Amino acid sequence: MKIFKIGGLFLTVVFVYIQFFSTERNESSLLLVTDIDVVYEVPSEVKRIFNTSCYDCHSNNTAYPWYNKIQPFAWLLESHIKKGKAELNFSEFGSYSIRRQRSKLRAIEGQIVDDKMPLRSYTLIHRKARLSKNDKKVVVEWVVKLRDSLK
Amino acid sequence: MRRVKTVSRVLVAVFIVLIVASCESNNKSQADHEKAHSEMTDNKTQEKAPHADEKVPVNHKISIEIIDAYLVIKNGLVADSKPQASQGAEIMLAAFTNMDLAHLPETTLQQYMEIHESAKEHAEHIKKSSIDHQREHFEILTTDMIDLVALLGTDKTLYQDFCPMANNNKGAFWLSEIEEIKNPYYGAKMLSCGTVKKQIN
Repeated sequence: MKIFKIGGLFLTVVFVYIQFFSTERNESSLLLVTDIDVVYEVPSEVKRIFNTSCYDCHSNNTAYPWYNKIQPFAWLLESHIKKGKAELNFSEFGSYSIRRQRSKLRAIEGQIVDDKMPLRSYTLIHRKARLSKNDKKVVVEWVVKLRDSLK
Repeated sequence: MRRVKTVSRVLVAVFIVLIVASCESNNKSQADHEKAHSEMTDNKTQEKAPHADEKVPVNHKISIEIIDAYLVIKNGLVADSKPQASQGAEIMLAAFTNMDLAHLPETTLQQYMEIHESAKEHAEHIKKSSIDHQREHFEILTTDMIDLVALLGTDKTLYQDFCPMANNNKGAFWLSEIEEIKNPYYGAKMLSCGTVKKQIN
């Protein structure tokens, strides 16, 4: 019994201790000249979908949920955002070479068609971020169109 | 009491391991950064070094290693072998790192770097992904390779093949070293689907 008591106490101490670590917030009020919305004409419907389902991890602005105030969840979020932005950052889309932009657009199409993005672990909590059939169609059609125009 | 002591010792040990692990990942990214830095300076110093073997055009030397690695990936996918494809990707990444670009003229270099950057990204994904995802990246990698061959040329005989069913029936190309069709997009499922569209050399 004592083992559980000590173990529990230890975990509590650890839990309280890690609360003192803060993470860097992914927030910026700047609209970069490289933002996809500046570089290309993004239809409002596509913009809405990007905003609710993609930008939390693929832009310089995350709409943080309440549990970002609690560790270790904040760390988890931070690592997801970091990885997401390294793969694709819509705020810096215009800084990619045309070749890379085309390849990213192709990848977006693939990820959405295959239901790989948005991540399930993300939509599990962010129910609004789930893409409807129509959402998918709208985004895929637009990225295909944009890709074909970048030749 | 002794038991309690052991348990708390174990817990402390676990805690320390966790902390060390998290520090280590930080250090690692820093080390990568430094490595990239030193590679950059290396490239600069090599710029004026004369090339040893003058017989093979420099451009071809660059393209040959990358294409060979590409073909390993391609043959891995033909054989439905995820490990072989990811091994090919590893070879490609190594080829990119060891590349001597000193003799490329500036305009070529610029175009080459765009292909390099893009292809490297795909190789990184192919290295660590499931075979479906490998095939997706392979399709885009192929466009990079076709452009690379057009830019730098090659001594190799290559066949540019096309499968109309791949990429959700939009069709996709691949490069092959053999004339016979062996489809990397479907492997054993549809090995002979496709046609030769073009022969290079």
